[in-house]
Amino acid sequence: MEEFLSNPVVQGGIAPFVVAVIVVAILAKAKLAGLAVTVGFAVAVALVSGLGFTPLTATRKVVLLGLLAPLVGIVVDFTLKRNRTLTVAIALAYGALTVWVFWSVLRQKAVGDALLLGGGVAVFVAWFVASTLELAGKPVRAGAAALMLGLGAGISAILGASALLGLYGLAVGAGASAFLLVQMLTGRKIVAGATLTLSASVAAGLVAAAALVLAQLPWYALIVLGLIPLAASLPASDRLPVWAQAVIVSGYGLAVAFVAFVLTWQAPPPG
Amino acid sequence: MKQFAIALVATTLPLAAAAQVESYNVDPYHTVMYWETDHLGFATMRGRFDKPTGKFAIDRAAKTATLEIVIETKTLSTGDPDRDARPRTRDEHLRTPDFFNVAEFPTMTYKSTGVKFQGDDLDVVEGNLTLLGVTKPVQLKIVRWKCGPDPRTQGKRYQCGGNATGTFKRSDFGMKFGIGPIGDDVTLWMSFYGFRQ
Repeated sequence: MEEFLSNPVVQGGIAPFVVAVIVVAILAKAKLAGLAVTVGFAVAVALVSGLGFTPLTATRKVVLLGLLAPLVGIVVDFTLKRNRTLTVAIALAYGALTVWVFWSVLRQKAVGDALLLGGGVAVFVAWFVASTLELAGKPVRAGAAALMLGLGAGISAILGASALLGLYGLAVGAGASAFLLVQMLTGRKIVAGATLTLSASVAAGLVAAAALVLAQLPWYALIVLGLIPLAASLPASDRLPVWAQAVIVSGYGLAVAFVAFVLTWQAPPPG
Repeated sequence: MKQFAIALVATTLPLAAAAQVESYNVDPYHTVMYWETDHLGFATMRGRFDKPTGKFAIDRAAKTATLEIVIETKTLSTGDPDRDARPRTRDEHLRTPDFFNVAEFPTMTYKSTGVKFQGDDLDVVEGNLTLLGVTKPVQLKIVRWKCGPDPRTQGKRYQCGGNATGTFKRSDFGMKFGIGPIGDDVTLWMSFYGFRQ
């Protein structure tokens, strides 16, 4: 059993997916199926590195914010009216938190480098969050975007030298794929809301940012990953069956993510 | 007169003892920290950190010593510098948060808390290893130790050199990625030189 659970495919894919399917099945009626993403993420973290937070390293801050994101999403879904102002406010808050996440690295750099790096990843995460939150009312597009955010961040992180961050990202994708698959199999749409979109964008966005700051993801691959939520808004007729919509929208996201993979693979060595 | 003599001895003895403390600066060009751990249950993977800096002091009469070493984690090498057809090398992987997280923790340190002598020779150094922001006790066994004039300077410079080894569990320092396929137990091997100041 121990050998089975130490297999990376199980840690970042199978185990998060299986648990996420159960969460979707149980919580869909309560409009909380989006929690599948965070539960999948938590399963991977527990299996890959354990759920410890001392000392509070940058990677552990990524995990912490990833695990707390659905709480914000639930508050937004059940107590607030979602609008552009709220989306911008949440995005700016996560941009600021991104600087906190990587502060231990930024403070070691020259002021100019720290501003560029810190500002860059903060803008990226804020954009990731805002553009994904815009999909909250569209369950298939939100699920497909979340799937590709996770896969995009995960595979890019692996190619950028960090399997740990990669497995965290893949787990987000596995959780989102459970959300999407249940819709595809039943032909019925499930409420995504901020619970799903915020969970996926915060976790995947911070994983991708960490792959840039702590590993070797090139900055231009991060920009390409930022286009995935936009790709999930490309045309896919609502008249099509749910499974077809999911395949088409996921395909858009995959095409964008693939560009990021190629760019990351071909990035020159540092220094 | 007798009281004066006792007072004189009492006053000068500590000074005499202090004079026996020898201070050394670590020679970064001949001091290397090697490590090894199990890889996939098949073989032992080895790597090293280059150019550590630090100092040590020893009082042979009092049989005390102190040691402080600073290692730049970015100097890590396992002899795999070229990517070839792969997206990243093993050394690049080892520098990420999966293992040594060099961007966030550019140094690891070892600071002694006590020593044991066997006869006139340094035998064991008790100390704390700080790695990935976690400080835990690690014991270093001195397996080779010699002091004398440096032949490269025709005896003008006095040096001590030797080898030390110790073990720790990487999971104790939060380095938990890949435990199972990759060993948790890490053995350190250190070859060191220091020049007397």
